[in-house]
This record gives sequence, structure tokens and C-alpha cells, in this order.
Amino acid sequence: MDKILRINVSAEGGPTALEEGLGEYAGLGGRGMTSGIISKEVPPLCHPLGKDNKLVIAPGMLSGSAAAVSGRISVGCKSPLTGGIKEANSGGQGAQALARLGYAAIVLEGKPADDTLYKVFINKDGVTIEPDNSLKMLGNYATVEKIKAACGDKVCCISIGQAGEMKLSAATVAFTDMEQRPTRHAGRGGVGAVMGSKGIKVIVLDDTGMGMRKPKNPDAFKSANKEFVAGLKQHPVTGEGLPAFGTNVLTNVLNEAGGYPTKNFSTGQFKESTKIAGEALAQIEKDRGGSATQGCHRGCVIQCSGTYNDKDGNFLTKQPEYETVWAHGGNCCIYDLDTIAMLDRLDDDFGLDTIEMGATIAVAMDAGIAEFGDGEAAINLIKEVGKGTPLGRILGNGAKVAGQVLGVERVPVVKGQAMPAYDPRAVQGIGVTYATTTMGADHTAGYAVTANILGVGGSVDALKPEGQIDLSRNLQIATAAIDATGMCLFIAFAILDQPKTFQALLDIINGFHGLSLTADDVTELGKSILSKERDFNARAGFTNKDDRLPEYFKNEKLAPHGVTFAVKDEELDQVFNW
Amino acid sequence: MSEQSPSTISFIIDKNSISIFSIILQQGFKVFAKVGSSLESMLCDQFALPPEYLSNRIQTIFLDGKPVDDVTSTMITDGATLALSAAMPGLVGATFRSGGALSVFRSSITHREEEEKSNISAQGMITLKLFNLLVSEIGPAFLERGIWVETEIIKNLIEEKKTEGKTVFKSLKVDGREIGPDEFSRLNWNEGQKLIEVTVQIEK
Repeated sequence: MDKILRINVSAEGGPTALEEGLGEYAGLGGRGMTSGIISKEVPPLCHPLGKDNKLVIAPGMLSGSAAAVSGRISVGCKSPLTGGIKEANSGGQGAQALARLGYAAIVLEGKPADDTLYKVFINKDGVTIEPDNSLKMLGNYATVEKIKAACGDKVCCISIGQAGEMKLSAATVAFTDMEQRPTRHAGRGGVGAVMGSKGIKVIVLDDTGMGMRKPKNPDAFKSANKEFVAGLKQHPVTGEGLPAFGTNVLTNVLNEAGGYPTKNFSTGQFKESTKIAGEALAQIEKDRGGSATQGCHRGCVIQCSGTYNDKDGNFLTKQPEYETVWAHGGNCCIYDLDTIAMLDRLDDDFGLDTIEMGATIAVAMDAGIAEFGDGEAAINLIKEVGKGTPLGRILGNGAKVAGQVLGVERVPVVKGQAMPAYDPRAVQGIGVTYATTTMGADHTAGYAVTANILGVGGSVDALKPEGQIDLSRNLQIATAAIDATGMCLFIAFAILDQPKTFQALLDIINGFHGLSLTADDVTELGKSILSKERDFNARAGFTNKDDRLPEYFKNEKLAPHGVTFAVKDEELDQVFNW
Repeated sequence: MSEQSPSTISFIIDKNSISIFSIILQQGFKVFAKVGSSLESMLCDQFALPPEYLSNRIQTIFLDGKPVDDVTSTMITDGATLALSAAMPGLVGATFRSGGALSVFRSSITHREEEEKSNISAQGMITLKLFNLLVSEIGPAFLERGIWVETEIIKNLIEEKKTEGKTVFKSLKVDGREIGPDEFSRLNWNEGQKLIEVTVQIEK
């Protein structure tokens, strides 16, 4: 992983590829790399779909190695959805393949002269770029099928669907999984639209002949990795709950807490929640010959995904995640898992962010475009997006645009990005993160380890309101650092509870790169990433007024607890004071 | 068939069919209990859960929809709804853990013991909900001991499974009398009867 591949799509005669050394980006990975390049090379005031924006695809620092759960990949750009910096994170095979091919990043830059679509093929011998207009307006599934027919079933595809080609702000970049299906997505912020604006339909990675990346200190690395895996497997969340039920195990708990946003965030409980909870989902998957325990990339030991088959036992989609089941389920008052799974399949095929689309459809339902609970109508609305009808293009640009066009006040977005599946009135601490993260409302932005482990920000007093501010800050710092490693964020539970597992993570990084990082160094890495992102957003015109939740969260009481979001603006302004 | 509405139903099922009661365990069932006692006492002394199971396995607890941090000081009163879960993933999952480091994130809805709450011991009825890993781990013991469920729910369950007959229900007794699958449809359900006692045994 000692080179960066730059593909200039402005070049006369079609895109050209240039390999260069890492230079000042040496040592960076994942979100550290994407935000490093974007903050330095992209003018913050540029148009997100214009010539000056860049799309950076970067595996993590440990990707391509034998380190467990290290197959996450970051996709960064100036976001067409938020107007700020964006890092969207995905599983799939892309991180491992790209890292083994030796690339720390692929950078798509420039603006194509015409609307020709290109495919990029990368293997051990180099890079080939060819026009292929036969791929135009194909979904991700059909695109991958064509690539499979031409290149075999071992390659990994990074692709966009129709939404990316139409440059819709909810468009994703898809990564194929271990079964070569385009089920893993860098979902948030419209990264697929930026890939579409560069005229690149698919990047094919063939890592045949490339071995695993070798650690600098093999013995230390191997021993730390063994300890790390043991820590993950012995923890009840990563070793039992997630493998058994997937992330959707959260549905019952959030609903019981009254923090499950229902009917476009108008109430905190959905009376049909058990019908779509992880327990029910896992049972259907098993009954239909699918699987409730499956990894999203090779080397995953948590296995929080699965396979959802239709009533006839045929593959329909991967196990829909909690966010997806909520967005298309409870938030739209839909409680049929087959309908939700179909919506997930369509999102994956068109290349759409499931959170953004679920939130958008709920806004459309609030506007009377369809009835809450009408699953068939929801499916038809997503199909409108895929077809690119006028209504579909409005919806495909996300909840904020749909709310403006349809005249809806209750639009749950921050910095233009839809909130995920936790109501910030019931869980006020996550509201702090939604409001202040550089990414727009994002549940993964403040995720990882506590102050007690990283030792940043002093000790937190859980009884004082400012504790939420301190915790949110520390979590955002830690998450930025984890995002740079390529590690799955779900390792957080094991390293949260088990200091030995956290030390093993540090030892893996040190053993692999020949470093001697401490927890303080990890903290500094996280802070440095966040500082670059904050600086980019400030130069793009963001102020503290953008670090706020929509007004109605302060005014509308959430049932059943009757709570509003009570964290004061001046407290929110303290999150980045470190 | 008796003209009387059933008041107790006993199922014997094979172990592969236990999942048909999973939804009931999640949606909530009622049990008699001595109220006015602490949450810890109720779970360990009355429901016979080992203390280490409570401290290690039941990491997320809700009383009337509010997350609980202290099982020793939290008192259970008649009519309470108690939901139990294993440790949950995600930032918010960690936030809801009993006494967890992130509990401040949900402080506005956290359960706080009210001083005026009665702690006089008495017989009462509570609603219990079991989620995720706990459904299969402690659910069968509650089913075997006997739970009270809305009559409508049991009526619908029997209706739904009647075509599978003996493959699901190895034995079904209504008010102590064994009935066959052909009688399922002829059970005389009383619309006015809200709760029915249900016991479920797994065939050895």
C-alpha cells in the first residue's frame, strides 16, 4: 500500500491513470486518507459535481492484512447532500482487494468532456480504462453480472447504479461482498453522485496473484491478532448478539425505550415493532434457507450480516440492517419484512442510501404522497427514483429537498443529511453528535471508545449535562481514529468493556506498521482528522448555526416520555473545544 | 366441546417449535409476583434467576419504558412493565446498558426511584418482556411455570397453526382436557375474557 492511483477524467481522449507515491499522505488510511486529500486538494467552495471535487476511495491502515475485521473502506469527497466534507464507510471485498493491489487510495478527479461511461480494471499488471456505454442506466446487480461474465467470479466491483448516474444526492457507491453481490454500500452523503459526475460506472479489482500484506513485526502482530479475535468472540455483543440477530437486534430495545422514531419522527414507539425486529428477521432467514450469521468481508469474525430469501427460498437481499429496517419500516409504519427486504434490494440495485430514502419516503408520506403503512406505495416510490421520473429525482435528492418541495416542516436532517434510527429527544447524547459531527446527522460519528479508555477530556460526570458534550467529543475523536484503521466500528463493544482487547488493537497496529503508538497517539490521530474536516467545513461556509437540530425537536414533545431536545446551543458549541 | 370459554391452556411442543412463542415473549406476557420488592429480588428470589446471570447477562433493563441503572434500589409495583435484554450493539445499545459509561446520553428518560412509591409487599401482576438472547435462555422457564396472555393472541396462534396440528402441538389441553387438532376450530372463545393462563412444556 505504497502508492496512490489518480484517474484524471478530464484528459483528452478519455480518462488517464497515474500512479504516484504517498508523499505527505504516507501513514494515512481510511478516513484519515480521504479527509486528508479532500481537505488539502478540494476547494471547499467548489460545486460537488464539478471539476474541482474529487472522489477518494481508501482502504484502512490494516486492510489487506491478516488482521481480523479490517476490511472497511472509506469513500470521501465534498458531499452533494451536505455541501461539507464526507466520509462514507463500507464493508465488502473492496478494502482487502485494493490494499493487496498496493493502493492506499484511488482518486477520481476532473470532469469528463461528454457523457461516455467508463469502466476501470485494476490487477497486478496495472490499470486499464475503457469506455462501456452498454452499462448505462444498469442497476448494480446487472452491472456486476456483466463484469462477472467478462472477468470471472473472483473480482471485486466498486460501482454505481442509476442513482449515481443521475447524480442524485442520495446515491451510494456499491462494493461487492464475498458472494460477489453489490450489497455493501458507502451509503451516506451522495458519494455515488460524485462518482457518476466523473463518468466512472465501475472499478473492477482483481487481486489474483497478490498476497496478504505482511506485517513489520510478524510475531507481535500474530499474537496481538489472536488476542484481539479472542476478545471479540468472548464478548456477548460481538460474540453472540450480533452473530445471532444482526444489528436489527436493536429494534425491540429502542422501541421499549421510546426512542424508536416512528411515523416520520412523530412518536417514539411503533406498536408493530416485534414483527420487524431482529429476532423475527433471523427466524425468517433461517426458515427460508437463508442465513442469519454471515460476514460482509473476508476476515470478519463478528458475522453480523445474513441472507434474506424470498418466500420461494430464492435470494432477495442481504440481511437488512437495523437502520434500513427502521427507515423503511417503523419510520414509514411498514411492518412486513418482505416489503422492507424488497426496498433494501431496490436501494442496493439503484444505488441509494437506505437511511436517506426511508427518511425521505416518510417525509413524502407526511405530505400525503402516500399513506403511512402502505408498503406497495413505498416500493413504487423507490422505483420512481430508479426510473428518474420528476418525482423520483426529487425523492432521490433526499429528505431535505423532498421536504422543501412538498412543504413539510418535520424534516429530520442536520446539514442536509437525514437522521438515523434514534430519536435525539430520547437519547439526547446522540443528538449532540447528530448536531455537531462534520458529516451531517450520522449515528456512526460518535461510536467507539469511552473517555475512560482513551483518557481524553478528563473524567466525565454522568450526572451533569455537560457530560453529554464531553462524551460526544471523545466518541467522535475515537471514531475518526478507528475509521482510519479500516477496522469495523463494531469492535467498539469489545474494546469498550475489555481493556485487554483495546491493547490488542493497538498492538496489531504497532506490530503491522512497526510503530509504538499509545492510546494518546490514537487520540491525536482522531483529533487531527476532525480538525481537518472542521476546517474544510468552515471554509465551505459552515458556522455554529449548522451544528443544530431542526427546531421541532426543541418544540414537539416525543411520546411516550414527553421529552424535547434540551441541550442548549451554547453547550453544543463546546463540543470541539479541546 | 365445552360451552365455557377456556381459562387455561397447556401445550406440549417439540423443541424445534418453541420459536412460535418467541413473539409473545417479546410483546409481553403477565405473571403473578410479589410486588413491593426490588428488581433484583424479584428476578433472583422469585423468578429464580442466578445472580450472576442478572449481573453478567441481563445488561439492559427497562421499567415502564425507562432504562434502569440500579437493580437493588429499583422497586417493582403492581402493574409494572419490565423488559429485559442482553447487551446491545451500537452507540445507543451501549447507552442503554444498566449503569454503563454512556448512561448520561439518555439521562432525560432514565428511571429514577420515586420516594413516595410504596414498598409494601403484596401479590400483584406485572408484564414481562424478554428480548434477543434471553428469549431462548429464560423464556422456556417462564412458559413452563405459566404465563398469562391476552386471549386473542392465543386464539390467533392456535388458528394460525391448526393446519400443522400435531407437528407443532404434540399435546394441547384446554382446562385439563386433551383436545385434538380437529377441535381447534370449535373452541368457544369468550370475547370478554381478556387473559388466559398458558403453560408450555417442551417434549423430552
